[in-house]
Amino acid sequence: MARIHSRKGYKLKQIIDFKIAEINPDGRDVLLHQGIPKGVEVPERIRVLLAEGVDIFRRTAQPKGVIEEVSLNQFENTFVGEGKNIRDVILERIYPKSDHLALYVLTMGEDVSSRIEKMFNEGDYALGSMLDAVASLAADKASEVFEEFYRDYLDSEEKLNPGEFVLSYSPGYCGWHISGQKKLFDRLKPGLIGVTLNDSYLMTPLKSVSGVLVGGNKEIHIFDNNFEYCKECKHESCLDRMKRIQTI
Amino acid sequence: MELLDRISSTLQKGEDEQVAELTKQAIDENIPAQDILDNGLIAGMNVIGEQFRKHEIFLPEVLLAAKAMYAGMDLLKPLFIKEKVPTQGKVVIGTVHGDLHDLGKNLVGIMLKGAGFDVIDLGKDVPAEKFVEAAKTEDAGVIGMSALLTTTMPVMKKVVELLKENGLEDAVKTIIGGAPASEDFADEIGVNAYGFDAGKAVELVKELTGKK
Ligand code: B12
Ligand code: SF4
Repeated sequence: MARIHSRKGYKLKQIIDFKIAEINPDGRDVLLHQGIPKGVEVPERIRVLLAEGVDIFRRTAQPKGVIEEVSLNQFENTFVGEGKNIRDVILERIYPKSDHLALYVLTMGEDVSSRIEKMFNEGDYALGSMLDAVASLAADKASEVFEEFYRDYLDSEEKLNPGEFVLSYSPGYCGWHISGQKKLFDRLKPGLIGVTLNDSYLMTPLKSVSGVLVGGNKEIHIFDNNFEYCKECKHESCLDRMKRIQTI
Repeated sequence: MELLDRISSTLQKGEDEQVAELTKQAIDENIPAQDILDNGLIAGMNVIGEQFRKHEIFLPEVLLAAKAMYAGMDLLKPLFIKEKVPTQGKVVIGTVHGDLHDLGKNLVGIMLKGAGFDVIDLGKDVPAEKFVEAAKTEDAGVIGMSALLTTTMPVMKKVVELLKENGLEDAVKTIIGGAPASEDFADEIGVNAYGFDAGKAVELVKELTGKK
């Protein structure tokens, strides 16, 4: 991760180049994403594909991010977005209790996506699909690296109190409507790192993530996941995240 | 026939170059193209499909086999055009307008081709009009639509409406898939079927085209 350029008293705004080593996903997670459960014997030819996928990712990814701290008022405006949020969005209960907020967008770059497309066009489906999984998981992991980055920044600025923790939340998840990205983009201008948003709120390059980093007492990030929208949730990623905080 | 069995088993191992060689050999031995396709390539792909459904093999193995199948198909194609060999049916697929997520759509296309369907892939960001136009010009029996974002789902409804406007709702069946799609949504907008994954897609398209 790049060095933090902080100036005391100023809000953080920075473009970041991620190192491949810090976002490289665990091979077993990539295989799981491809439907191969952990603990099963993996055929040699799949292991070869995995190694190749990881190698191509290392050579083609241009992982970058942009981050900007915002005030509570500024975030309120971003969060409301186009007014399409579901009532009782979990984040609406969390962010007002936070001490620090920062918007972010990150991307794995266009080359990985074009490479995946090329592989599918040329019939290299298995490798294309493996590379796709590596890039998706790397994008997810980069969000975690951003969490650490922001925590380190706050720490270096002596703004982080004991027991405080940074977690990311993204539009399109847990009741926060995907159109929330519009105002997030208006403020952050991630065109600087080559990310654009279309009318259906889809980011290009495809392997990109947007969201807010919320810093505050770790208790604010813990909740019961029994909201109306949780009934249809297939991933329940909140459980892993809450577990992660509680072990710290 | 021993050679066709070898094509089938080599395909199952995902050895594309060898499948191409064996297919060439079969052509040289004057085995009818339809036979090579049905009893070599598709037979092998059917075994793969079945093993995948039973979780005996994994997605990458299916995709390696699919590549091997196309290696053989490429050699057979010129013969088919001459002999006009019928397929299981034509399916137009695409990711709907506003959406660029095409991995799932690609997998569905690969599996459908593997099952012997003629797949017209319109790519991604496909407007409703283009789906209907392609179904008309290609005389396709099924339109398959993929969407990964809730915001792009209205395009699916528009395709159903356009088919009705063109009096094609009986001739052209519709099937949808992707994370935000569901059976309820399919019912609500009048789509004929919803497929949870690529395996289910093949099963449902077979039903829609009366091949099952
Ligand atoms: C991996 C992933 C990512 C990755 C990569 C994205 C990509 N796909 O390339 C990353 C981390 C980058 C990402 C980012 C985002 N994501 Co995302 N992502 C996913 C996830 C977990 C899996 C998608 C995937 O690759 N699946 C693997 C493929 C093979 O599956 P598939 O496309 O679904 O296709 C299969 C079936 O659906 C079916 N099928 C598909 N099409 C068709 C068609 C027919 C006719 C049939 C019969 C069947 C069929 O068969 C296929 C094969 O089995 C989904 C959740 C999910 N369960 O799908 C969310 C999901 C798509 N993401 C979501 C969101 C919100 C986002 C972000 C907006 C978050 C953010 N704010 O940053 C961004 C947007 C990215 C962008 N470019 O705009 C939401 C969208 C919800 C919504 N409101 O619209 C989802 C649904 C998660 C959720 N909330 O439940 N994402
Ligand atoms: S169950 Fe799913 S929708 Fe509900 S809070 Fe957890 S991650 Fe979000």
